[in-house]
Amino acid sequence: MRGKPVRDFEYLEPNSISDASRLLAEYDDDCRLIAGGTALILALRQRMLAPTHLISLAKIESMSGISVSEKGELRIGSRTKHAEIASSDLVQSGWPMLADMASCLANPQVRNQGTIGGNLCYADPATDPPGCLLALDAVITLVSSRGERQLPIDKFIIDFFETAIEADEVLAEIIVPKATCNSSAHIRHLRIAAEHRPMLNLSIALDHDGDQCRDIRFVIGAAVPVCSRITSCEEFLKGKVITSALAAEAGDIVASEMNAISDMRGTDEYRRDIARVVTRRALSDLFGLKEG
Amino acid sequence: MAHQVIGVGTPQVNAREKVLGHAIYAGDIKLPGMLHAGVVRSPYAHARIVSIDTSEAKSLSGVHLVLTGEDTPTRLSGVIKKEHRILATGKVRFVGEEVVAVLAENEEIVQDALDLIQIEYEPLPALLDPDDAKVSSISVHEDSKSDKLNNIAKEFFIERGDVDAAFEQADAVYEATYDVHSQYPGYLEPMATVAQKGGDQRITVWAASHSPFQARQRLAEALDMPDTNIRVVQPLIGGSFGAKNVEECNSLIAAFLASKTTRPVRFVNSRLDDFLGARSSVPEKIHLKMGVDGDGMILAKEVNIIGDCGAYMGLAAEVLHVSVMRSDNMHRVENVRSRASLVYTNNPPKGAFRGFGGTQMTFAVNSHMAMLAEMVGVDPLEMQKRNVTQTGDTTVHGWKIGSGGLLDCLDWVANNIKWQEKQKRLKEAGIYRRGLGVGAGIHVSGNGAMGWDGATINLKMSTEGGVILTTGETDVGQGSTTMFCQVVAQELGIPLSQVTVLTPDTDTAAFGLGSIASRTTVLAGNAALKAAKECKGKLLALASAHFGVEENKLVIEDGEIFVASERANQQISYGDLAKMHIFTADGEALQVTASFDSKPTIDPTTLYGNASAAYSFAAQTVEVEVDTETGQFEILNTCLADDCGKALNPLAVHGQGLGAAAQAIGWAMYENMELQEGALMNGNFADYTMPTADSLPDIKTGIIESNDPNGPFGAKGASETAIVPGAGAIANAIYDAVGVRINSLPITPENVLEGLRAQNAGQTRA
Repeated sequence: MRGKPVRDFEYLEPNSISDASRLLAEYDDDCRLIAGGTALILALRQRMLAPTHLISLAKIESMSGISVSEKGELRIGSRTKHAEIASSDLVQSGWPMLADMASCLANPQVRNQGTIGGNLCYADPATDPPGCLLALDAVITLVSSRGERQLPIDKFIIDFFETAIEADEVLAEIIVPKATCNSSAHIRHLRIAAEHRPMLNLSIALDHDGDQCRDIRFVIGAAVPVCSRITSCEEFLKGKVITSALAAEAGDIVASEMNAISDMRGTDEYRRDIARVVTRRALSDLFGLKEG
Repeated sequence: MAHQVIGVGTPQVNAREKVLGHAIYAGDIKLPGMLHAGVVRSPYAHARIVSIDTSEAKSLSGVHLVLTGEDTPTRLSGVIKKEHRILATGKVRFVGEEVVAVLAENEEIVQDALDLIQIEYEPLPALLDPDDAKVSSISVHEDSKSDKLNNIAKEFFIERGDVDAAFEQADAVYEATYDVHSQYPGYLEPMATVAQKGGDQRITVWAASHSPFQARQRLAEALDMPDTNIRVVQPLIGGSFGAKNVEECNSLIAAFLASKTTRPVRFVNSRLDDFLGARSSVPEKIHLKMGVDGDGMILAKEVNIIGDCGAYMGLAAEVLHVSVMRSDNMHRVENVRSRASLVYTNNPPKGAFRGFGGTQMTFAVNSHMAMLAEMVGVDPLEMQKRNVTQTGDTTVHGWKIGSGGLLDCLDWVANNIKWQEKQKRLKEAGIYRRGLGVGAGIHVSGNGAMGWDGATINLKMSTEGGVILTTGETDVGQGSTTMFCQVVAQELGIPLSQVTVLTPDTDTAAFGLGSIASRTTVLAGNAALKAAKECKGKLLALASAHFGVEENKLVIEDGEIFVASERANQQISYGDLAKMHIFTADGEALQVTASFDSKPTIDPTTLYGNASAAYSFAAQTVEVEVDTETGQFEILNTCLADDCGKALNPLAVHGQGLGAAAQAIGWAMYENMELQEGALMNGNFADYTMPTADSLPDIKTGIIESNDPNGPFGAKGASETAIVPGAGAIANAIYDAVGVRINSLPITPENVLEGLRAQNAGQTRA
């Protein structure tokens, strides 16, 4: 896409997160971090942003890579590309919902260029990673020259295109605890096939014993301003033997509890309709129930 | 066969340069000292321009010119109605109208300067609905005001036969209103122009326009200059689908700026500029009534259309003309009555788009056919077949069908989707339900509505036997360059590589109307064939004189002419004959110029008469699956047959069929120009969702060769016809699956779900 011409900027390539943090503090509003650039370059071309300095994360080795710690946690460097997450053996074997989500995200161009950290920092509601990570109870590590802190996903993404990151902080890593669920699913619902952004997604981490739901984290995203757990639905399902009727009832709970948004991809009413159906279908699939 | 290139799948001769990135498009042209242009567009649908302050922008370093409407010539331009100035003066009439133009050293300075321009507007009430505009006391164009027709740009009324009596005879009558929306052309290359004024004050314009002579005429009007002072050169074009024909304003602005400076000017639309400035397809509200007898034969048809041309008429009046009449000609209907009004509004202007009005109306007709088929208990595909126009027919509007392959098209698409077999299956009552739909379409191969319809080709042979072809007829990506090479190579018996087709240039080419109305293959192809035959005649005459033998004793093979009985030593090459021609004809090269005129016979008052040299047909079947819980639907299979007379290049025809089907699917299911208060909300490809490879079904395309007597080698126009039947076929398939009839486009999951709920509510009540 040919956009409006981008204003000149200085391109800085720090070698460490603390250097990056110092540069962020120094240039403040006049600078932006760049990782994959899939969102930032569009904003620059549209002149929605006109930073004088771009701080590249490309030279900071510690921010890339996927590993599993001794405690069994998954650690994903924030500069890791979606396609790398999708194809990682570690992710596929231990956190299949995450690998599956990353393999369907947006479109091939975005998966091969965009990064998981960039995605989270942009806080676009019409995307898949935040909800999936919330269902997996992930935390993110924010690092600055002042120190570091960890936040759970829902304390990090606080609103529509808004995060809790401080001006000099860098999202360094995503930590996903060892999965306690024995079944999971990320459902990405496109209104029409030509869309590359979901109008609704569900991320479900389920611990079950046959038909019985022991524990569940149920997250809805894209149809709401910020992805969020539907705790009333979780409470409703916990401990119960799930039947088709209960799955349908859970759908009703989600449809009424969700804070549905209206935009070009669908009205709040239609999003509730879809949430009801997709919830029932997802639970039926997870519990191996017969649809009908 | 020794030498056969016609009918052989032939990759486009310029495909290699395009995929390697070597092709030169308008935006690739770089001239020394070239400046860059940009425009400020109106944020209001209708507003008076109170003041424009350009002082800050002008004082910015690197800015060369900042011009407003007051700086533009007062002479108005327009293809049909002269009503447009290069930049808005007095008031703005749509969101996106060009108000101020800037010329600067580079694109960044252009953008900075645009941001510094202060314009004060006084908003006026905006007319955004054509029904309102028709009766409003507010005028989009003050000068069009009269007592009763305030914003009426154009009206049509056509009546043939006895419509009322025929409706009396009908066993079934169906009436419905359809609402069809506008589609953005979505070409890869946004509109681009480079323009330069020479020392002689003539302006050369390299523009992605596929009607260079019409473009020259319009530029002459808009710049108020003699047309001979303007030269339009057409670089390669990265798609148009009609919109780059002669309605876009990018080239006007570039040429205007060039007229005010001694330096070359480059103006390339950003994608947003293009969304806001391009003429998208004409949206129409169509009220249709049709009556059939018990066998499903159409007895009468009555239609009333309101078309919204937006703020300027452009070619929309001709588009509406097509909507009013064209689809009647694919059926053996005798009684038709059509009324149509084209209305000015403060929406963005509309115009030419692949299918040119046929697509809009045929959606309604194909939907109607399925409903009437159900009413009289006839299979919808069978009903289409019973009504088709066939070879030798003269239609209700006087069109002479030289070759009619629609019946074969319908059979092909029915067989390939297994229509009979699938129609027999029981209707499922489950969540996912499948259905079949069919649509048919007709298109022209040139259009006499323009008053005249012909083409001219010049061939010149080099002294090495190569051929240079010069014409004002154009390739917009559809493949006419390759077609010309094939026709000439076939007739002269030389390889494709020995034919060179020159870039159209109004200074050197013969007059041409360009690539519109699917006219190039039949009209320019015929002219090329005639020129090649005459060229061959000259070569044979020269060889005959050279060898001293009768022409009928000569044989042509591989670019050489032999004496039939003494092949071994009596031979001469085309190149040597061309050299001989120069030596014996006072230095004149061996060249011929040939024209072909289709001699249309349309009466300008009644609009009755033969419009085109030939008529193409297409049919499409679609199988969908509908998710009754979400309203979502998916095309599982689709088959499209194009009766293009004879596929000169089957590879190109298949490609065009696939593209046309994809564009029809986009229009029917995916694309939607979201307007709020006349402002486009989704002018980018993330939010304006054209189909991508992963959102399209497998499309099966077939070619029906009905061999038209008037086309070169039997060929007719291909590629526009194929977009016509798709939308109706999709709507019919959804109806067949779930019984929900959607009459407004795009068909959305929300609308289908709403229809299903209304159906359930109805059943509950009953």
